[in-house]
Amino acid sequence: MKKIININFHSRVIPIEESAYEILQQYIESLRRYFAREEGRDEIISDIENRFAELFSETLKKGAPCITDADVEANIASMGRPEEFEGEENAGAATAGAGNTGSSQPSGGGPNPNWEYAGSEPRRLYRAENDKILGGVCAGLANYLRLDPAIVRIIFVLMLFSWGFGFLLYLILWAILPTRSLPAAVRKRLYRNPDNRMIAGVASGLAAYFHIEVWIPRIIFLLPLLLGIVTSMIRSIWWPWHHFTGPVFFTGGFGGTLFITYIVLWIVLPEANSASEKLEMRGEKVDLESIKNTIKSDLEGFKGRAKEMGTELGESFNRVSREMRQNTQNWASEAGPAIRQTTNGFGHAVGVLFKAFFLFIAGCIAFGLIMALAALVFRGEGVLHVKNYILEGFWQNFLAWTGFFLFLVIPVMALLTWLIRRISGTRTRRHYLGYAFMTLWVIGLFCLIILGGMVMNNFQSRQHVEEAVTITQPSHGKLLVFANHSENRYGDTDEWFNVDWGRHNAFYILNDDSVLLRTVKVNVLRSDDSAYHVRLIKLSHGNSGPNARQLASEIRFPVNQADSVLTLPEGFTITPGEKFRNQQVLVEIYVPLGKRIQLGSAVKDYNWFNIDPRRRHLSWSDGHRYYEWDEDYDDPGNTFYWRSNVEYLMTPNGLLRTDRDTYENNGSGDRAPDRTNNDGDNNDNENPGYSAPKHSKHDSGGYRYKGPGSRPEKSPQKKTADSTSVKRTAMIAKPADCSTCLLSALDNI
Amino acid sequence: MNIENTQSQMRKGILEFCILSVIRRGEAYPSDIVEEMKKANLNILEGTLYPLLTRLKNADMLTYRWVESNSGPPRKYFSLTPKGEAFYGELEATWNELANAVHALTNNTH
Repeated sequence: MKKIININFHSRVIPIEESAYEILQQYIESLRRYFAREEGRDEIISDIENRFAELFSETLKKGAPCITDADVEANIASMGRPEEFEGEENAGAATAGAGNTGSSQPSGGGPNPNWEYAGSEPRRLYRAENDKILGGVCAGLANYLRLDPAIVRIIFVLMLFSWGFGFLLYLILWAILPTRSLPAAVRKRLYRNPDNRMIAGVASGLAAYFHIEVWIPRIIFLLPLLLGIVTSMIRSIWWPWHHFTGPVFFTGGFGGTLFITYIVLWIVLPEANSASEKLEMRGEKVDLESIKNTIKSDLEGFKGRAKEMGTELGESFNRVSREMRQNTQNWASEAGPAIRQTTNGFGHAVGVLFKAFFLFIAGCIAFGLIMALAALVFRGEGVLHVKNYILEGFWQNFLAWTGFFLFLVIPVMALLTWLIRRISGTRTRRHYLGYAFMTLWVIGLFCLIILGGMVMNNFQSRQHVEEAVTITQPSHGKLLVFANHSENRYGDTDEWFNVDWGRHNAFYILNDDSVLLRTVKVNVLRSDDSAYHVRLIKLSHGNSGPNARQLASEIRFPVNQADSVLTLPEGFTITPGEKFRNQQVLVEIYVPLGKRIQLGSAVKDYNWFNIDPRRRHLSWSDGHRYYEWDEDYDDPGNTFYWRSNVEYLMTPNGLLRTDRDTYENNGSGDRAPDRTNNDGDNNDNENPGYSAPKHSKHDSGGYRYKGPGSRPEKSPQKKTADSTSVKRTAMIAKPADCSTCLLSALDNI
Repeated sequence: MNIENTQSQMRKGILEFCILSVIRRGEAYPSDIVEEMKKANLNILEGTLYPLLTRLKNADMLTYRWVESNSGPPRKYFSLTPKGEAFYGELEATWNELANAVHALTNNTH
């Protein structure tokens, strides 16, 4: 019993026995290999195929129901097999080959050119000139091992992603292998197998291609997923508080990549529906044995050649040097026009290395992007937490999810689709997939833009509330200010992607219910009377004035006092219900003249936003520009720069370090060194190196104090613009006036 | 020294000359060429003919046109170009010289 299939052979539909079709295919394959070096190879094969088609048509016309094995064998006999051609024609072929293809293969003129032609091996490893993405190494290997180049490329890419070792191997092969135009080794393609499938038949198509059991690829696809589930289960049992750390990220990301790979293969690979496609899917048998045989026969051929070469050492030396020269030339032609201009070999080598380096970097970046996106997609917990604090209402959430998915996942899918298409050499004239990707991506972009607009709207208005904290006056004329700062507390919180963002991250996410914000700033000012005062100014954005004010008043920032020690909380928490609207707290400490203050280092650790009290009334985006950690020094003096862990005395000129005599001797401008030298060196008491010269520079240059007349006018103007805090304006204006006197006095010196 | 090898060497040299001479008589289809050569007792595999024709065509010795056929796909009919004609002329001259020389030599030894 024989199976008959219909093939489309040179635009004739020919019914042919399946086995006969295989014989025919193998014959044509042997011709292809025989004529590998012929310039007109495709034309010759096409002519011969055409002749076969004609002979088949004649046979069918005579009344035969189909083409049988015998028909094909008879036709092949009259056409002749490659082995028979040799006897008749090899000299002609060799000379014609050398004449037509130029000297692309110098060794072709060697003592025994026939071994290359021998219909069934031995073969040599080359880089493919005609089918390459980078250097043709993969195609060359595929030709040698008689695999689909797509497979070798996929393996190399996997090796690259897993160990980076593939890249090195590739470079080495690129460097040592000579190039040559190679025929396609096998007529074999990856298909999806519709006959045996769980989801789409991808795994069973792969299995058919490699002639392995179908469960192997299935397990490979499923394993990371199972592993991830199992490990996270074990982890959540044993280390419930370390639920999100460790290799879960890796397995999750890796499994996710495989998952996407499956989907992309699903999209890209055609289903093997017709019998001939199914034959192509299985193709020639490729297994370890055949690969081993290939290499073995090649090694034997190599031994033979080695003997020959031993007899003609000189010639082989010549040949090697010629090949080397040619290799470098080939490299040059691949290394881009800029490199090609430099003609010396060293330049070529550098060019190739440069290109390889560039590719490596580009590859790393692309890989990093893919992994990051995959991680974002599959491990979005970190973002999820933040999302709850920013978004409100169904539509914002909906837009966020849609936009996020379309905007990030679609490019990853598109990139992988493109990669696999490029790798497998699939060409399609239908671009609808690209259009679909593009449309979805644009939709995602619009979702994000609309979302951005809505979120911006929620930050539109900025308001503040003020609150005076009643404190008892410290008994020794010195106020110590500390802030709670428990490092350990954050050790086991859920960090984003298991990365420790450090203590300077504004979002210390405590748990699902609340987030700790540390957008707090402490300002030290001069008190109007003889008592210490502490004021809290709470700021917030909102979609309207009342909303912002409401959010600002909801900020909980309790200040504790124990005699002379004032303890500030480490931050303030907000709940998802309250939403994150860039809430900030400004702590103003008013120190009376002649009294001292010292601030602990943890107070300096309040971070992220720089709250400028004079710009409180400005819009959110404007306020956002002031990221700088340091004070605005142009401010003529209502707030004072301070270092942590240093005792200061409040003088008419501002804060004065009590531990430095040098500044007192100068008598004026004592703030300058502290202000300019903000290198964060807090405990440095003796800095003899810088004090004197810097001082004189400031005095003589005076750039800081230029135009003392204009500044005080400007300052109150700004204040009056702030309609919401008229009371405060009056308060600030006073010290400003004071400092104006000081500044004009300075100019007179 | 094996006899088959020498024989095939001798045949090889004149193969192109014979093919060109068949085509010179008029447009020819590859299997016709094979038939004609067979008739003249010069056996050649079709598989060797196609590459030869392609090479000659690529060297501008031959040209071809497609002719619809009622028995199958369209056929390629080959004909000589002027360059091929000149090439043939040279080959013919060489052949005549050779044939005369061989004739003279072989007759002498007998």
